[in-house]
Amino acid sequence: MDRRLFLQSTAAASVLGVAHPVFAADAVKVAVMIPQSGPAGLFGPSAKACAELAAETINARGGLLGQKIELLFGDAGLAPAEASQAALKLWKGSGAAAVIGMHDSAVRGALVGLFKGQVPYFYTPVYEGGECAKGTYVNGETPQQQLQPVIPWIAAERKPKKWYLIGNDYIWGRNTNAAAKGYIEKTGAQVVGDEYLPFTVDNFDASLARIRDSGADAVLVSLVGGASVGFNKAFASFGLADKALRLGTLIEENTLAGIGLANAKNLYSSAGYFANIATPAAQAFAAAYGKRFGPQAPALNGLAESTYEGFLMLEAVARKAGALSVAKMDAACEGASYSGPRGAVTMKARHVEQDVYVADVADKGFRVVKTFSHVSSGQTCKA
Amino acid sequence: MDGGTLLHALNLVYELSTLALTTLGLAVVFGLLGVMNMAHGEFVMIGAYSVVAVQQWGLPTLAAFPLAIAVCAALGWVVERWLIRPLYRRPFDTLLATWALAMLMRKVVEAIWGKGFRNVDDALTVAVPIGNTSYPAYRLGLIALTIVLLAALVFWYRRSSAGLRVRAMTGNPMLAQALGIDTQRLASRTFIVGVVLAGAAGVMLAPLIRIEPGIGVDYLLDAFFVLVVGGLGTLGGLAGGVGVIGGSQALVSSLFGQTSGYAVVLVISILFLWLKPDGIFARR
Repeated sequence: MDRRLFLQSTAAASVLGVAHPVFAADAVKVAVMIPQSGPAGLFGPSAKACAELAAETINARGGLLGQKIELLFGDAGLAPAEASQAALKLWKGSGAAAVIGMHDSAVRGALVGLFKGQVPYFYTPVYEGGECAKGTYVNGETPQQQLQPVIPWIAAERKPKKWYLIGNDYIWGRNTNAAAKGYIEKTGAQVVGDEYLPFTVDNFDASLARIRDSGADAVLVSLVGGASVGFNKAFASFGLADKALRLGTLIEENTLAGIGLANAKNLYSSAGYFANIATPAAQAFAAAYGKRFGPQAPALNGLAESTYEGFLMLEAVARKAGALSVAKMDAACEGASYSGPRGAVTMKARHVEQDVYVADVADKGFRVVKTFSHVSSGQTCKA
Repeated sequence: MDGGTLLHALNLVYELSTLALTTLGLAVVFGLLGVMNMAHGEFVMIGAYSVVAVQQWGLPTLAAFPLAIAVCAALGWVVERWLIRPLYRRPFDTLLATWALAMLMRKVVEAIWGKGFRNVDDALTVAVPIGNTSYPAYRLGLIALTIVLLAALVFWYRRSSAGLRVRAMTGNPMLAQALGIDTQRLASRTFIVGVVLAGAAGVMLAPLIRIEPGIGVDYLLDAFFVLVVGGLGTLGGLAGGVGVIGGSQALVSSLFGQTSGYAVVLVISILFLWLKPDGIFARR
């Protein structure tokens, strides 16, 4: 920590500490696994900031079960085996009593295998669904959540007849498109093509020619990060933006910055959070974030903000269970709820029921055009 | 020619043009100096960020060309003088040193602009009608520019006395030196030309590609495959490599999907490496 950062955080702490909550003797350590390197590393700084803000907010109102939260950060941007080594160090080495994770599913698989339900683990980003391990609490949006209300709404608004589905060739891209197929057919529209591209692809001409030939008037874009940027730019340059609307469930603020507003005509994004949601809770959160980290703060986005939600859910479940043990938390988690930047969030089947926002792109970036309240995750997780 | 065929033909020409454009700089450096410049892609990245910079400063997009040329030339001069020159004839050491340079360049750009995606706006990226289809105007311009650039380079290399000296230097460095050719200075200039070409390619591609600090490695890999196939030191080889790699990737991708297209490129490259094992580092 350099001197300036130290002064800033001391100043912030003294402001936040006005209420001087009385803490129990020991601090409780919470491990935060976020990508600090690798392709997703660009979300590291904003996710770290959200985690810090969450811990400070919870500490200011009395801490987690009366104990002050102390954060430990681990790099989840590594290969799964290395990331789980990092998590093991924080858990067994440094004594973390709970884990918040915002990272890919491969790392989640490794961490679930490592923890084996012995430490509460809150997984927060958008994901493909299906995680039902004990002691694992999922805050992220599932494909069902992001699409089930949204596709019928788009059908009513824009009346597309032919959908083309494209995605990266891995579980999230495939599960998202598979879920979409059912909802699309229910609206009476037709799926005229689907294809899955490896992550190495950076030339989308062949796919764009197929989309053009298919006569699609709607495209579901389940590509990730750089692939989504390259695809959407080329899509617009071929003049397809006027012919077909686009819908994505992982087009957040950074991806849109790469695509460019001019290339985002008729593009919709569906997510549990956008940086400019107009609700008082979301605006208060964005203001607190801006105040705490200043004008140079890493830009807010749905993935980073999910880390904040993870802490709120940890607080809610811990309060209901009265302890940080998986046995008690698993028993108590059903129905645990809080109201945060995303709105009211309630745990069901160790997933969450939450609001889903649909945004299109205006001249200043995302503009939320529709809100669906209390959307189910579509996950059942028996036992 | 119906619209679909024309579109596929244009896509193929575009893919070959961009591949030639991004490989050219590496072909010059690798082919003429025998230096495997692992930071090649990072010079393309610097070119793209030059456009980001001039748009941030509110300057016209064309100002990115002089900026990229100045930055890449200065960087190229320094790198050749203090990193490459002590390591000539030590290909493996050069490879490691330029790989480190690539990481350094990525980190510097990350420190200035962050890891996030950037976009540059260009009014010309819209599609214009051509034949029975429509094609982005910027891409058509890029194809034309690439052809002009390649023709000019061939002409310069074949006809100018500088080209003659470069050929003398690469043909027999000792003899060239004995004839009074300042091979050291010539090598420095050749390296600068190579990295400036990479930077210029980055400027030209900026409106069409995703821009983030890590894009360099994509261009390095593709350029490397082209040189593996095409061999070193001749523009004909470069053209052949571009044709085989770009052509097979575009064709197989269109017919059997992108995964197969990429696999074919890897298989071809492995076959060439295997059957011509001395082709890569056997220079000098």
